[in-house]
Amino acid sequence: MYTVRSEEMLSDNELRRYSRQIPLIGEEGQKRLKETSIFIAGAGGLGCPVALYLAAAGVGRLLVADNDMVEESNLNRQILHYPKDIGRKKVCSMGEKLSEMNPCIKIEALDAEIDEKTVASLTAGADGIVDALDNFPTRYLLNGVALKRGIPLFHGAIHGFFGQATTIIPGRSPCLRCIFPHPPPEEMFPAIGAASGFIGLVLATEVLKYILGRGELLAGRLLIWDGWRGSAEEVPVMQNPACESCSGMKERGG
Amino acid sequence: MKVRVRFFARFREAFGPELEVDAIKGETLLEIVRRAASSKRDGYSTLFEEDGRLKRFVIVMHNGSRVEHADAEQISVAEGDEIAVFPPVAGG
Repeated sequence: MYTVRSEEMLSDNELRRYSRQIPLIGEEGQKRLKETSIFIAGAGGLGCPVALYLAAAGVGRLLVADNDMVEESNLNRQILHYPKDIGRKKVCSMGEKLSEMNPCIKIEALDAEIDEKTVASLTAGADGIVDALDNFPTRYLLNGVALKRGIPLFHGAIHGFFGQATTIIPGRSPCLRCIFPHPPPEEMFPAIGAASGFIGLVLATEVLKYILGRGELLAGRLLIWDGWRGSAEEVPVMQNPACESCSGMKERGG
Repeated sequence: MKVRVRFFARFREAFGPELEVDAIKGETLLEIVRRAASSKRDGYSTLFEEDGRLKRFVIVMHNGSRVEHADAEQISVAEGDEIAVFPPVAGG
């Protein structure tokens, strides 16, 4: 399902840096991480922890798209942005921190709005898409492009101390619209950093498992996190044969 | 007969994690949800539109399987059934 594209060796620096995870995933696994490109949609509450931990693990190329600027009210949860970054583009602030944290990887900061016109070109070359957004209309665009290209979409969302996550593998699992055919009304959602962090790290773990081809993905399962109770439950989710986004994919050979 | 109605995510702010409803034979899933919703202050308007329809984004599951709103109006409950009701959350 996933092929390593080259036989590039890990440097001595990388072998030292990743020496506590190479026993888990092997040098082969580490090379897979290095040769993978992941698109992260959003440099906010979810995007920060996802990017931080994928960068730390050595995912070789991270493309981060967002066109917002850092505001003071972001700082409670968007943990890669500091007071000095207020008024700067989020992707620049994030790119800087990630590059400093792990110089072995490439960060591409895409200062762009994700919309119908840009979604295909922004995600071009990505092996997977992380949905770290804050609204459903744009999520449906990512869902569409993931289905079209046959690449996974890692979905996460939060509200206050609550969160949800699932992994969409086109053709194998329900798509985002099968699971959520109708978005909830838009609102100014309350957000606590620890909930974004929890869901963000579920997403990062899913991405790593997918790249490594190991473990059990959250495909066909919706994880629902209740931070107030400290409980995570899962709900089985199924393909909707009448789904307007993915029904007929099989007929098209997708 | 007893039927459990479980709530997830921010619906728990209105209803708590679950309510037990004493169901009458022949009552449908939607009727049970409506009764559960009405048992809490502001509960009804959390789940239902003014015209009485369930809000479109609300997800209803019956014993672990997703049911369409139209089907929830038809399916009768049985002793020990579990209905789960939850909203997608959207924030990032």
